[in-house]
Amino acid sequence: MHPILMGRLRPALYLAAWAGIGLLLGAMAQAVHPRTLGHLALWLVPLLLFYAFVCLSAWWVCRANPLATTRPDRLALAIVSASVQAGVVWVIVGALWGALLQHRWNLPPDRPGTMRDLLILGVSGVVLYAESMAGHYFLLTAEASRDAERRVFASQVAAREAELRALRAQLNPHFLFNSLNSISALAGAEPEAARHMCGLLGDFLRASLGLGARERVAFAEELGLAELYLAVEQVRFGERLTFQKQIGPGAAECLVPPLLIQPLIENAVKHGVADRIEGGTVRVEAQVRDGLLEILVENPRDPEAPARRGQGLGLENVRQRLAALDPRVTRVDVFREAEMFRVRLVLPATNGRENDIHGR
Amino acid sequence: MAAEVFRIRAVIVDDEAPARALLREYLAAEPGVELVGECANGFEALKRIGELSPDLVLLDVQMPKLDGFEVLELLEVPPAVVFVTAYDEYALKAFEVHAVDYVMKPIRRERLAEAIRQVRERMGAEKSSSARQPSGSTLGAAARAPGSHLERLLVKDGANVHVIPVERVDWIEAQDDYSGIRSEGKTFLKAQPLGEIAAGLDPARFVRVHRSCVLNVERLARLELYAKDSRVAILKDGKELPVSRAGYARLKELL
Repeated sequence: MHPILMGRLRPALYLAAWAGIGLLLGAMAQAVHPRTLGHLALWLVPLLLFYAFVCLSAWWVCRANPLATTRPDRLALAIVSASVQAGVVWVIVGALWGALLQHRWNLPPDRPGTMRDLLILGVSGVVLYAESMAGHYFLLTAEASRDAERRVFASQVAAREAELRALRAQLNPHFLFNSLNSISALAGAEPEAARHMCGLLGDFLRASLGLGARERVAFAEELGLAELYLAVEQVRFGERLTFQKQIGPGAAECLVPPLLIQPLIENAVKHGVADRIEGGTVRVEAQVRDGLLEILVENPRDPEAPARRGQGLGLENVRQRLAALDPRVTRVDVFREAEMFRVRLVLPATNGRENDIHGR
Repeated sequence: MAAEVFRIRAVIVDDEAPARALLREYLAAEPGVELVGECANGFEALKRIGELSPDLVLLDVQMPKLDGFEVLELLEVPPAVVFVTAYDEYALKAFEVHAVDYVMKPIRRERLAEAIRQVRERMGAEKSSSARQPSGSTLGAAARAPGSHLERLLVKDGANVHVIPVERVDWIEAQDDYSGIRSEGKTFLKAQPLGEIAAGLDPARFVRVHRSCVLNVERLARLELYAKDSRVAILKDGKELPVSRAGYARLKELL
C-alpha cells in the first residue's frame, strides 16, 4: 500500500500541504493576471486535487529506481523525465479544463487558463513532481533503515536463541548420558579408549561453548565442531556411523552463524543413522557458487521410521536464523525421500576480508 | 538370606556396543545370572528372545526398526523386562507394561544389582502364585498415553515382522480374532481383534465405518447410498466397503 495513504494522519497532512501550494499558485496567477477569485478557484482547485493524486505516482517511479542501486546519471534522468512528463500532463489537463469551463459555462473574459497560467502550472508542476519524488525517496530510505533495524534485531534474537539452544544441546542430557555410559563401559576393558573419549567430549563441549558466544565463525570451525560431535557419537555407534565431507574452494573461509549446521548434524544421527540397523553415512558438502555458500547435509533414513518430535525444531531454528541474515538470498530446502534425507542451506558467501571493506 | 536364589537367564538388547559391553561386565559379576544372548536391534531381539525364552531381558528403548516397547508388544510370552535407557520420559509407560524396573544410563553397578534383585523377587512371587502375565500386545495398547496414537502397526509373519506406518494403511477388516490390514496392495493378518487396534488409532484419520471395518479416511473417494440406511464407501482405488448407519454418523462427524 502507498505509504502516504496509510492511516488517517498522513493523507490529511498531504492534503494540507497541497492547500498551501494552492494558495501560493493562486497568488502567483493573480499577480500576473488579477481576476475574480471564484473563477480562479473553480479552475485551480480541481487541478490541484488532480495533481496531488498524480504526485503519488512518484512512489512507483522511486521504487523502480532504488537510490542504492541506480547510477546517479540514470537517477537524474529518471527524476527529470518523470517530472517533465507529469508537468506536461498537468498543463494539458489544465488547458482542457480551462477551455471546458469557458465553452460550457461561458466564463467571462477574465477566465483562468491563459498561457501565463499554464506556464505557471507547467513550471510548478515539474518542480512539485521532483519534490514529490524527493519526498518519496526520503520515505523509502526511512522505511529501509527501519526494516534493516528490524532485521538486525530479529537476527540478534535468533542468535541469542540459538546460543541458548546450543547451551542446552551441549547439556543435551541424552547425548551426555549416553556418552558417559560409553565412557563407563570403556573404562573397564579399554581405559585408553575411555580417556580418548573423555578428551573428545571435553573438546566438543569447549568448542561449542566458545563458538556459541561469537557472532560469526568460519565454516571450517563449524565443521570442526560437527566432526567432534560425530567422533563422540562414533564411539557409541561404532562402524554404523561414518562421516564424509566435500568442501569446495573458498567454502571453509566463509563466515556463518555459529552452530548453524549442528542441529542438522544431530538430527542426521538421531533420526537417520540411529534408526537403521546398518547405520549409514552423514555427508556434508559445501561450495561457493555465484557469491552464495551452499551447504548440503545428507543422511540415510529408515523409510518405516515414524516422524519423531524434535526433528522439526532444529530445522525451524536453522530457517529462522538464515532468514534473519537476509531473507532475499538465504534458503533452506528440505528433500525427504524414502531412504534419504537432505537439507540444503543457501546463504551469502562472505569472509572476513570482504567484511572489512564493507564495514569501513 | 533364606530366600531361594533363582537362576536367571538374561538377554541384553541394545544397539550400542559399549552399552552392551557395560551390561555384560556387570552381569558377569552377578551371581546366578547367566547371559545367554545379546542383540543389537529390535528384529534380532524378537527372534532371539523367541528362541531362547530367557527369564530376563535388559531392553533399550530407542533402537532401529523396532523400539523396546514394540519388541515387548510382539512377544507372545514376555519375560521379565528391565528397561535400560538414557531417557526418563518412558518410565511411566514402562511400568504400565509391567516392566520390573527402569534403569537409567549411565548405569551404576549397584543400580543394576537392585534391578536384578527385584527380578528375583518377582520370579519368586510368580512361582508361588503362578500369576499369569498379560500378553505384550494388550499391555502395549494399555500403555499408550491418552492423546497419543499408534504411529505404525506391527505384524508378525512367521519369523518376520512387517512394520506398517499408519499413513500407509488403507483399511483394516475384522477376521474373527484377527485383523486384516490392507496396505499398498497387500493384506497383513495381525493376531489382534479389530477393536483393540482401532482403539489405538488416531480417530482423526481412522473411522470405524462398520462393525467389521476401520477406514483410513484419506483413502475415501465418495459415499453412495446403497439401500435405506446403508451406504457403501467407494475408495480412491475403486474398492467398496460397507458403511453402517453408526459408521456413517461417525464419518459425517469427522468430515
